[in-house]
Amino acid sequence: MSFTINTKINGKSISASAEASTSLLEFLRDTLEMKGSKLCCNTGECGACTIIYNGMPINSCVTMAADAIGAEITTIEGLADGDKLHPVQQAFIDTGAVQCGYCTPGYIISVKALLDRTTKPTTEDIEEAVSGNICRCTGYNKIVDAIHLAADRIAGRA
Amino acid sequence: MEYFEPKSISEALSVLVKHGAEAKVIAGGTDVMVDIKFKEEPGSLVNIKKLPGMSGIKENGGSLRIGALATIRDLETNALVREKLPVLWEAAHQFASLQVRNTATIGGNICRASPSGETLAPLLVLEATGKCAFSDGEKSQPFTSFFQGPGKSVLGAKGLLTEIDVPYPAAGSKSVYLKHAVRGAMDIAMVGVAVLITPDPGKNNMQDVRIGLGAVAPTPIRAPKTEALLRGKPLTAALLKEAAALAASESSPISDQRSSGEYRRWIVEALTRRGLEQTWKAATGKEVA
Repeated sequence: MSFTINTKINGKSISASAEASTSLLEFLRDTLEMKGSKLCCNTGECGACTIIYNGMPINSCVTMAADAIGAEITTIEGLADGDKLHPVQQAFIDTGAVQCGYCTPGYIISVKALLDRTTKPTTEDIEEAVSGNICRCTGYNKIVDAIHLAADRIAGRA
Repeated sequence: MEYFEPKSISEALSVLVKHGAEAKVIAGGTDVMVDIKFKEEPGSLVNIKKLPGMSGIKENGGSLRIGALATIRDLETNALVREKLPVLWEAAHQFASLQVRNTATIGGNICRASPSGETLAPLLVLEATGKCAFSDGEKSQPFTSFFQGPGKSVLGAKGLLTEIDVPYPAAGSKSVYLKHAVRGAMDIAMVGVAVLITPDPGKNNMQDVRIGLGAVAPTPIRAPKTEALLRGKPLTAALLKEAAALAASESSPISDQRSSGEYRRWIVEALTRRGLEQTWKAATGKEVA
């Protein structure tokens, strides 16, 4: 059974149809051709599909597309302002926090959600914020460096 | 697959009466969506996520009433849960990842009836009850008699859990939830142990003691023989050793990819010992004699 999804993604109103079994990730990638959010484990364990849903980071692969109705969603495609990257994106580049890159969109979204809540995250805040993101290249130290750099830049400390 | 988005509890119940056997209830989706992708699609999907009035957390005299649609993150960030029900807060805080906590609901964690459900051992020691709605009425069911096997509960195919009532433990009680898993985050418990001790007024004996075990039997369980052994006594080293071994014998763990049954029994013993010791010290200010 298909139905219409009226939602707001990266500030734009969007209307498209989905099946009841369609995940929000499939809706983004296959219906809307927004390939930035990655399909990886498809079970809500790796965080590559993380998006911001009504202000909260969630795994889009285990969320129904139907739940997008009336919601406000931010995906990795919504972060840059034209050619100007979001500070979190720039910090990942500047610290070399990207290896194969597959986990990166999910990380950046988790970190953006964290830094939207606080620009002075503690180590515990950081660990909590990215506990649901897995980097199989295991480049975790650089990612933590990137988070600190992004926080400092957003808060005007760097 | 048919899809229903009922607007009220009564509408949801009538959908379940009609489609019960092949219908699946979905809220957060963190378990059900995985089933849909990796197992099979149910005949119909009943999305209760937007049912009104089912997500609040409010104080009601000496208990906390938690709507079944409250997310694990709602519990984790609720000051009353943290202050009054720390054992439940600990389970919420250790639950999967932030992304999952933001969507998974406490009702879903309960109704999934997985022996390893993170909030279940804590709910058992807190002697919480569930408000279960059926088309012919509502009943209050203690969670100690709610679970019937892996994935099975008194709700059957036609009932809906709408609210969880968690009484505050008696004054002076202390509790702990200990989880054994390989990774810190995103890992299912091999063993989860919840312990709650209420000291007597002189803080010399355990007036009440409750032990909940997760992931070591077909359902989450209490350890009644161990509790009976301990009740009314001070915690001595000999008693602690005996109690931990008895708790392990009350468990009946399976072997699976996470660990062998034998290993799980050892962990029940170790965590029960650790949990009792910590809780005894916190509740009485005394070392184990």
